[in-house]
Amino acid sequence: MTVVTKRRRKVARKRGKIVSLDRKKARAGWLFVLPFIIGLLLIYLPIVFDSLTYSFNKIVPLKGGAYRLDPVGFENYQKALQNPDFTKVLIAGVKDLVFDIPAIVIFSLFVAVLLNKKIFGRAAFRAIFFIPVILSTGLISEISHSAMAGESYMGSSGTVDDGSGQGGSGASQIVSMTDFRWLFQNMQVGGGLLKYVTGIVNDIYNIINRSGVQMLIFLAGLQSISPAIYESCSIDGATGWETFWKITFPMISPMILVNAIYTVIDSFTSSDSQIMSYISRMYGDVMNGGGPEVSTAMSWIYFSIVIGIIALVAALLSAYVFYQRRD
Amino acid sequence: MNKVNSPKIKRESKNRIKVDFERTNWFKRFRLRFLTGTAISKGLTWIFRFVLLLGISYVILFPFYTKIASSFMGREDFIDVTVKLIPKRPTLDTYKAVIENQGYLDGLFGTATLSLVCALLQTFVCAIIGYGFAKYKFKGRKLLFALVIFTMVIPHQTLRHSMFMRFQNFDIGIGDFGILKMLGLNQIELTGSFTPMVMLSLTGLAFKNGLFIFMFRQFFSGVPDELEESAYIDGYGPFKTFFKIILPISIPMLITVFLFSFAWQWTDNFYVSLFGIIDNKDIFLLNEIQGIPGILNVKGYPGEALFTAAVYSTEAILIMLPLVIIYLFCQKYLVQGIERSGIVG
Repeated sequence: MTVVTKRRRKVARKRGKIVSLDRKKARAGWLFVLPFIIGLLLIYLPIVFDSLTYSFNKIVPLKGGAYRLDPVGFENYQKALQNPDFTKVLIAGVKDLVFDIPAIVIFSLFVAVLLNKKIFGRAAFRAIFFIPVILSTGLISEISHSAMAGESYMGSSGTVDDGSGQGGSGASQIVSMTDFRWLFQNMQVGGGLLKYVTGIVNDIYNIINRSGVQMLIFLAGLQSISPAIYESCSIDGATGWETFWKITFPMISPMILVNAIYTVIDSFTSSDSQIMSYISRMYGDVMNGGGPEVSTAMSWIYFSIVIGIIALVAALLSAYVFYQRRD
Repeated sequence: MNKVNSPKIKRESKNRIKVDFERTNWFKRFRLRFLTGTAISKGLTWIFRFVLLLGISYVILFPFYTKIASSFMGREDFIDVTVKLIPKRPTLDTYKAVIENQGYLDGLFGTATLSLVCALLQTFVCAIIGYGFAKYKFKGRKLLFALVIFTMVIPHQTLRHSMFMRFQNFDIGIGDFGILKMLGLNQIELTGSFTPMVMLSLTGLAFKNGLFIFMFRQFFSGVPDELEESAYIDGYGPFKTFFKIILPISIPMLITVFLFSFAWQWTDNFYVSLFGIIDNKDIFLLNEIQGIPGILNVKGYPGEALFTAAVYSTEAILIMLPLVIIYLFCQKYLVQGIERSGIVG
């Protein structure tokens, strides 16, 4: 008996036909992700490598479109950091980013919870709330910005800020500081928080525009919570407030992590962000100490800072994230 | 007490009875039903919620409304102070001028072609890649997926210069070790055509494709394995299973991703200018319709600032219009696709 099977196995190995199911599946898996691997190895990684190389070199154009690279070490980075405008914009941008993350995440969670409840006209509200995902990007926002210059004369757009982050004049603000001052006076909180809250409320249009995808992700997370848990909760007599903090919030916490990271990535890669537009401007601006190499070096500095922020956010939040054990 | 409320039963005939009982009067019923603490608080939260949603919808929709209104305004409306939100002398002149003199239709054709090709390719390629990550265990899977996230994290502005250089003198490999260079061939210039966009789309590297791959991975992880196992038993291979079984059931998700990639490609300004597609004289895109048509001669006209803004708004509306139409058709699937994806942990 054993002899026979051994011989069979030998024959099979010679023909090379027996491949274990796991190996077969692994092979199919490689085939499925093959387009990405090809792109990564042949296009993407070389581009990243080139980009790093440029930031350490000086590009000397030669005749006929060719160019020569002269290694200059960290000179481009020094130039970038010595540029007073860059450091100013960088610090301001990072500060904005840090303040915007909680605002966007909380707002989108709030709206997702609202949209998840059964309410009159829910389908219409959903359709409206996801419009910014489609329409607030690139070209349209650029054209709108050039249109805004004139539109602010109309005065009729009283409550709506143009979202350009300027804060607007007194007329175009929804709430002013004085409205809030009395509210906060008894709470013994500093002026910083006051400024933060009024800033967010006045910037609501901008925040709505940037939280579309996050809302979708939260909504998906809320949908996946089993209704049985809510049912048993209400039988035990929990109020809506308790249900939210004891059930919804822990169950949605992985989404909070995902969304916080997505928000960081999204707002720092968007071309609307202050730093990105500054870096883009420096790209062609050789006169003021810019140029492609310095611009590239600047964006690598910015990138490393943002990676640091992402790591920080992930470390802070993952301590509180609750993962439901799934069997 | 009990006697009053208890129903009176009258026998009318052999097999018919009539039940007579005193109903509690309407005011008492109303009070018990609607004036209790829970009912009131429920009603108040309902109203609060509704008003809140209404308010946020207003914030979202209002800028669109002002754009639409100003695009229909006649020239006199911009000087008239009494005109605010509703045009008094509605006219289509602005639309006519933009469509006829700014080459709107040519731009529509160019952008539609580019967006359709890229969006279809991206949806399809990302679905395949996402499926591979979701359903197959192979060595290096985690590292590869980390690299997908990595492509999402690096902003393409960082790679701007090197991307331009790469596609200007296209070669495979690094620096002097390019394959074409080693073969002694000339490097190919790919800028000024759709080719770079198509290449990026084909390899899942275009704008936000990392997000799409992530979404597809989450979606396919939720598809039960039994489905594929039964297909394998019926003699299907992995690819046949994917195309015949998996793709048909994931149509909402495919439409969602298609909608995203289409819309983001439609409004893209970064890549088309980086790859010089805008500079190409043969290809006309919607990005090039910006500007004031000469026919609308605005110099020396008192309402110039407002009128210029209105023309830009008109252009924005014309660019948005096809997207809005597609969105209205697809938005049903948008939520459905996301809901089913169950993006959890």
